[in-house]
Amino acid sequence: MAATLVVSSRGWGRLQQILAAGQGASASCSVLWRRGYSSQQEQVSHNEDLNVFICVPKKSRSRIINYYLFQPIQMENPYKDPPKRCVLCGINVDYKNVQLLSQFVSPYTGRIYGRHITGLCGKKQKEISKAIKRAHVIGFMPVVYKDPTFLNDPKICDIRHPE
Amino acid sequence: MPRYELALILKAMQRPEMAAALKRTIEALMERGAVVRDLENLGERSLPYKISKHNQDHRRGGYFLVDFDGPPTIVSTMMDHLGRDVDVIRPTFLKHPVSKTEECGGIIPVNYEDKLYTKKK
Repeated sequence: MAATLVVSSRGWGRLQQILAAGQGASASCSVLWRRGYSSQQEQVSHNEDLNVFICVPKKSRSRIINYYLFQPIQMENPYKDPPKRCVLCGINVDYKNVQLLSQFVSPYTGRIYGRHITGLCGKKQKEISKAIKRAHVIGFMPVVYKDPTFLNDPKICDIRHPE
Repeated sequence: MPRYELALILKAMQRPEMAAALKRTIEALMERGAVVRDLENLGERSLPYKISKHNQDHRRGGYFLVDFDGPPTIVSTMMDHLGRDVDVIRPTFLKHPVSKTEECGGIIPVNYEDKLYTKKK
């Protein structure tokens, strides 16, 4: 019995359904086309009438079959990088933590570096800025210079290579 | 009652006098109906800039942090009281900082073209 391949949307499962539905009673013929197996391995019955044929011109057979059977599975890009995090992601910013605040301040003038130099995300830049101004007023951090004890701290903001 | 933090800078004095000043401050707080949770000593350091207060110039001071719960009316009355105290250089009342460090989802790249240029419909 020959069956014409009418329509298929995605992958093996659907094809089985169509073939089984097309055949009606003989559901076992779908065994021939089980996923991942070549048709030679899984021949349960060698009956002539249970073989399923797809009528397609010989030259373009595999291309058309592949086109109908092997559609890409829609999924989110699995090779996507995790979102970029700024230096202070997950760190609590406090006005008492003068050493941390001094890292984002110029050593010569004591001015707060901008976003293009520190490379912080919007939220954290605002938090740092507010904390520094608060520390100035309360009398924890110097205003016009950077505290000399913190001059040799690891450099986060390099004004020569802002990125 | 909201939770406050008092960042207190006292004049650099000998230990018994410093203790007396602190005791005065905390008793004043408690008189006005505050519940003091914690008193931290952040050490005696040199001030970041010269502070003139009560006809005196100060270059060194003792830093203290008082954690307390109190009614909101306490702030103005205490600032008044501490302003008159000669040993106190700089009192500051702040709301107790809520340390929230969750779900920082990283920098999401913003499409500036869509944001800044209006597209013709």
